Amino acid sequence: MTTSTGTLTGPLWRTRVKLAATASASNWRLFSQSLLGRFGLVIIGVFALMALAHPLLMGTVWDKRIYDPVVGYDAVASEQVIVERVTDPTTQIDLDTARLRGDIDAQVGDVVTQLLQPAPPSRAHLLGTDPLGRDVLSQLMASARAAFALGALAALVTVVIATIIGSVAAYFGGITDGALMRFADLVILIPSLSLLIVLSGFFTLGLLHLGIVIGLLSGFGGTAIVLKSQALTVTVKPFVDAARVAGGGHAHIVFRHIVPNVLPLSLLYMVFTVTGAITTEAVLSFFGLLNVPMSWGIMLNTTQINGYLLRGIDYWWLVIPPGLAVTLLATAFFLVGRAMDEVVNPRLRSR
Amino acid sequence: MVAKGGPALEIDGLVLRYRTRSGEVSAVEDVSFALRSGEALGLVGESGCGKTSIALAVLRLLPDNAQIASGEIRLEGENLLTLGEEEMRQRRWRDIAMVFQGAMNSWNPVYRIGAQIKEAMDFHWPQRPSDARARERIAELFALVNLEPSLMDRYPHELSGGMRQRAVIAMALSCDPKVIIADEPTTALDVIVQDRILKSLKRIQRDLRMSVIYISHDIAVIAEVSEQIGVMYAGKLVELGPTPAVFSRPRHPYTWLLFSSTPSITGPRRKLQPLQGEPPNLLDPPTGCRFHPRCPLATARCTTQTPPLAPVTGATDQQVACWHSDRVPALDSLVLAP
Amino acid sequence: MARFVARRCAQMGVLFVVFLSLLFVLMNAQPGSISDQYIGDPNIPPEARQMIAERLGLDRPLPERYAAYMRNFFTGNLGVSFSEYPRPVLDILAERFPRTLFLFLSATLLAYWVGFRAGKLLVWRRGKTAEHTVNVVGIVLGTVFEPWFYLMMIYLFSFMLGWFPAGRLIENALWFDAGFSVNQVFLRLLLTTGVAGAAVAAVLTAACAVGQPRARSALRGGGVALAGGGLLAYWLASPMRPYAADLVWHAILPVTCLTLVAFGGVMLLMRSSMLETLREDYIFTARAKGLPERVIRDRHAARNAMLPIVTSLVFSLAGVLGGGIIVESVFSWPGMGQALLEAVVLEDIPLAVGALGLLGALALVAHLVVDILYTYLDPRMRVR
Repeated sequence: MTTSTGTLTGPLWRTRVKLAATASASNWRLFSQSLLGRFGLVIIGVFALMALAHPLLMGTVWDKRIYDPVVGYDAVASEQVIVERVTDPTTQIDLDTARLRGDIDAQVGDVVTQLLQPAPPSRAHLLGTDPLGRDVLSQLMASARAAFALGALAALVTVVIATIIGSVAAYFGGITDGALMRFADLVILIPSLSLLIVLSGFFTLGLLHLGIVIGLLSGFGGTAIVLKSQALTVTVKPFVDAARVAGGGHAHIVFRHIVPNVLPLSLLYMVFTVTGAITTEAVLSFFGLLNVPMSWGIMLNTTQINGYLLRGIDYWWLVIPPGLAVTLLATAFFLVGRAMDEVVNPRLRSR
Repeated sequence: MVAKGGPALEIDGLVLRYRTRSGEVSAVEDVSFALRSGEALGLVGESGCGKTSIALAVLRLLPDNAQIASGEIRLEGENLLTLGEEEMRQRRWRDIAMVFQGAMNSWNPVYRIGAQIKEAMDFHWPQRPSDARARERIAELFALVNLEPSLMDRYPHELSGGMRQRAVIAMALSCDPKVIIADEPTTALDVIVQDRILKSLKRIQRDLRMSVIYISHDIAVIAEVSEQIGVMYAGKLVELGPTPAVFSRPRHPYTWLLFSSTPSITGPRRKLQPLQGEPPNLLDPPTGCRFHPRCPLATARCTTQTPPLAPVTGATDQQVACWHSDRVPALDSLVLAP
Repeated sequence: MARFVARRCAQMGVLFVVFLSLLFVLMNAQPGSISDQYIGDPNIPPEARQMIAERLGLDRPLPERYAAYMRNFFTGNLGVSFSEYPRPVLDILAERFPRTLFLFLSATLLAYWVGFRAGKLLVWRRGKTAEHTVNVVGIVLGTVFEPWFYLMMIYLFSFMLGWFPAGRLIENALWFDAGFSVNQVFLRLLLTTGVAGAAVAAVLTAACAVGQPRARSALRGGGVALAGGGLLAYWLASPMRPYAADLVWHAILPVTCLTLVAFGGVMLLMRSSMLETLREDYIFTARAKGLPERVIRDRHAARNAMLPIVTSLVFSLAGVLGGGIIVESVFSWPGMGQALLEAVVLEDIPLAVGALGLLGALALVAHLVVDILYTYLDPRMRVR
C-alpha cells in the first residue's frame, strides 16, 4: 500500500490520518458540488452561531432580568393612556385601537389600560417580545441550543443502536436476524407521533427523555434495517472469513471489521434523524406536551395559548420566527443529508 | 434474404469522438468496411478499441457526449446518420437488431418474456399481430434457438442465463431484420453454454442467410462464427480479410502478436510472444501508426505516417494497414522452438 | 399468492398482539399505581369507581390483568371514557374513525398519485433550474414544520382570502334540522366514492386487455366519465346533497394540506428512483428496440421505478398518520387523531390507549395492503 508520497513509512496511525485526510478532501469536493448541500451547511452554521452566541450575550451584553428567555420580562407591561381621537402613537391612542386592544366600551377621554406586551420589534428587542414580555430573539437563540442538543442526542442514540443491531443481525444471521428484523418491522409500523403523544401523557418528558425515546424508536426501526443491509455486504467479504480463521472472536469481528464499514452510512442517517427529532420536538411542544423550558415549539405554544396565533400580520414576530426556524433548520439538515448521500452512494451522482 | 451479393451495411470513413472532462477521446478513427448480404463478419480487438462504439453508432444509440465527426453509415445504400430521430427509431430492430453484452440483463424483470418480444413486434410489424399469431411466431423463433415454447410465459428471473441469452437472440430475430449486430454474445456464460449458443448462432446465420456482425475480444469466438474478420486496434481497423487467411497468414504485426499470444494444443511448439506495453491513451494517441510503440517491426516512418488500409500483395481480398506487412510472415521463424 | 397473503395476515396479527402488550407495559410503567390513574379521577362517582375497579380487575395480579386487557381489546371492550363519561371508548372512536380514514386515504392516494406523475415527468425534462426548484419545493414541503404550515395555510385561505372555512367540520347552522347525522352523510360519501373508484379500477384493468390503442383509450375515458358522472348524478339527486357538499367543502383545505406535506417526499423519491432505473440495461434495450419514448418512460421505466415508492409507502404511512393527527388538531377536524390528543391532554387514559391501539391497527392494515400490492407488482417477490 503506497501513499501519494511514496511507500509506507512511519507508524500506522500516521498513515491512517493521511488516508482520512485524503478521503475527507475528496469527500468534501464531492459534497460541495451540491449547491443545496452547501446552502444547508450555511444555514446550520448560522443556527449554530446563534446557539453559541446566546450564552455569551447573556453573560455580557444582555441583562438577565430582561433578556432571559424563560423568566426575563420587559418591565413595562402596561400603561394607562387617555383615549383620544388623534392617532399620535407616542402618548395618546385613537378610539378604534383602544377598543381593539384594551376596552371595548372605551370612549374618547377614557383612560384605558393598554397591554404593551407582546411588543413589536424595537431597538431594545430586535424581534419584539412575547405575550409574557420575554425577548423573542433571546428565546429564538436559546431554542437553537435546545434543538442542537436534542438532535445530537437523538442522532447519537440512533446511530449507536442501529449500528450494533444491524451489524449483529447481519453477522449472526438466522434467528437473531429474524427476530431483530421482525422487531424493527413492528417499530416502523407504530405511528411514532401517536406513541410519543401517549407517552408524554403517561410520563413527563423532558428534552433528555425525548431525545432517548426518539433515538430508540429510530434506532430499532428503519435505520436498523438499512444498516443491516449494508452490514450484510461486509459480512460476505472474504476478510471476515479470514478474521474468523485467524481466531477473531465474535465481538472482535463485529466491532473491528463490520462496524467501521457500516459507520459512513450510519453517519448519513444520523443527519436525517436530527431532522426528524427537531420537527417532532417542535410538534410535541406546540401541543404543550413536553416539559421543556424553551424551544421553538414552546414559543408557538405560548403564542397560541395567549390567543395571538391567528391575529395575522399584526403579530408576525410571534408567529413567523419560530415556525421559520424549525422549518429552516430541519430542511438544512435534510439537505446536508442528501448531499452526503451523494458522496456515500455513488450511484446517485449526476454525470 | 438474398444470396450473398451487395452490401447490407457499409461503414465509410467513420470518425467518432467522445467529449470527456479530461478532453476529447478519439475512439474511432477513419474506419471503413462493408458487410455483404448474408455474410458473417467479426470485429475483434482489445477492450476499448472502439468496436462497441461502432455498433452503437450504427444504431445511433451513442451517449450524449459522443460526436460523429465525419463518415457515413449506409444500410442498403441509405445513410443512417442523416435520418431524423423518428425515422431512425422505426428502423431500429426492424432493419437492424442488436444482441448486447450481458444480454441476460436486457430483460425487464416485471414483464414476461413473451410479452417483451411481442412488444417489439407490435411496433415494427406492418400490422400489429394478434396474440395467437405472435405466440406462433415466438414459438418458431424459440425452436430456432432451442428453447421450449412454454418459456415465453415465464418471467426473466425464472430462466437461466443461457436461456435468457437465447431468448434475446430470438427477440432480435423477431422482426426479420436485415442486419444483426451481436456484441460479445457469449461473455459471462460458462464455456459449455457458450459453445452451444455459438453453434446455434452459426446455424441460424447460415440457414437464414442473415447478415451478422460479431463483436468480441475473444479470438476463438470470432474465429468460430465469422467468415470475415476485422481486427481493430486503438480505434483503427488494422486488418480485414477472410477468416482462414487472416488466421493462417496474418499480415499485421498486431494480428500476428494476438495469435501468437495464445498457445496451440495441436500446432507446432512455439515460444509465446506476449504483447509488450499497454493500449494507448486515446486522449492523446500516438502519431502515425497507433501501434508503433509496441510494434516489433516499427521504423521511423511508422511514427510519422499513418498507413492506410490497403490490399495485401498477392491476396486482394485481404487488407492491412501497415507499412511493413511483407515482413510479418518472417516473424514466424522467430518463435518456432528448436 | 393466497398463501403469502394468509401468512402475512398471521404475521400482522402477531405484531398487533405484541403492540398491544407494549401498550400494556407502558400503561403499567407509569409512576403511581394504575388504579390511581383510572380511579383517581374525581369526576367518577364512587359507585362507578367500584364497578370499574372490579371490571378492570385492578386489584388482581398482573398476569390476570394482562389477560383481561387483551380479552377486552379483542372483544371491543375498550372501557369507558373519562372525559365523556359515561360514553364507551369504542363508541367515540367508531364515530370518529371514518373521518380519520377519509383524511388518511385521500391524502395518501392523492399524494402518491400526484407525486408519482410529477416525479416521472420531471426526470424526462432535466433542465437545471427546473430541477433545482422542484427539489427545493419537494424538500421544503417534506420537512416543513407542520402545525406552523397549516396555520399559515389557514390564515391565507380562510382569513385573508376567505375561500375555505377552517376550524370546523361542518357549518352548524346548516345542519341544525337536517334529518341525517354527520356520520351518516360521511359514510354515504365514502361508500359511493369507494364504489365509483372500484368501478374505475375495474374498467382500467379491463382496458389493458384491449388490443387497439384507440379503442383502449376510448374505453378508459368512457369508463372514467361514466363512473364520475354516475357519482355526480347520484349526489345531485340525493336529499343529502347540501350536507354532503358542506362536508366536502370543509374537507378540502385539511386534505390539501396533508397531501402537500406527504407529496414532497414521494415526488423526490420517484425522481431519484426513475434516475436509477433509467441506467438499467433493459431501458437501453427498449431504446434499441425502437420503442417510442413515451412507452419506454411509462411501461418500462416508471413501472420499475414504482417499486421503491411502494416500499417507501411503508415508511411514510406512519408519517401520514402522524401528520393526520396534526391536521385534525389544527383544523379542529374531529377524527381519531384529535381524540387521541385531547385524551392525553385531559388525562383520559382509556380513550388515549384505545385511540392509540386503533391507530396502530390502522397502520398494520395499511402496511399489509402495501405488502400485498408490492408482491403483485414485483414478480420476483412471489418466489419467496
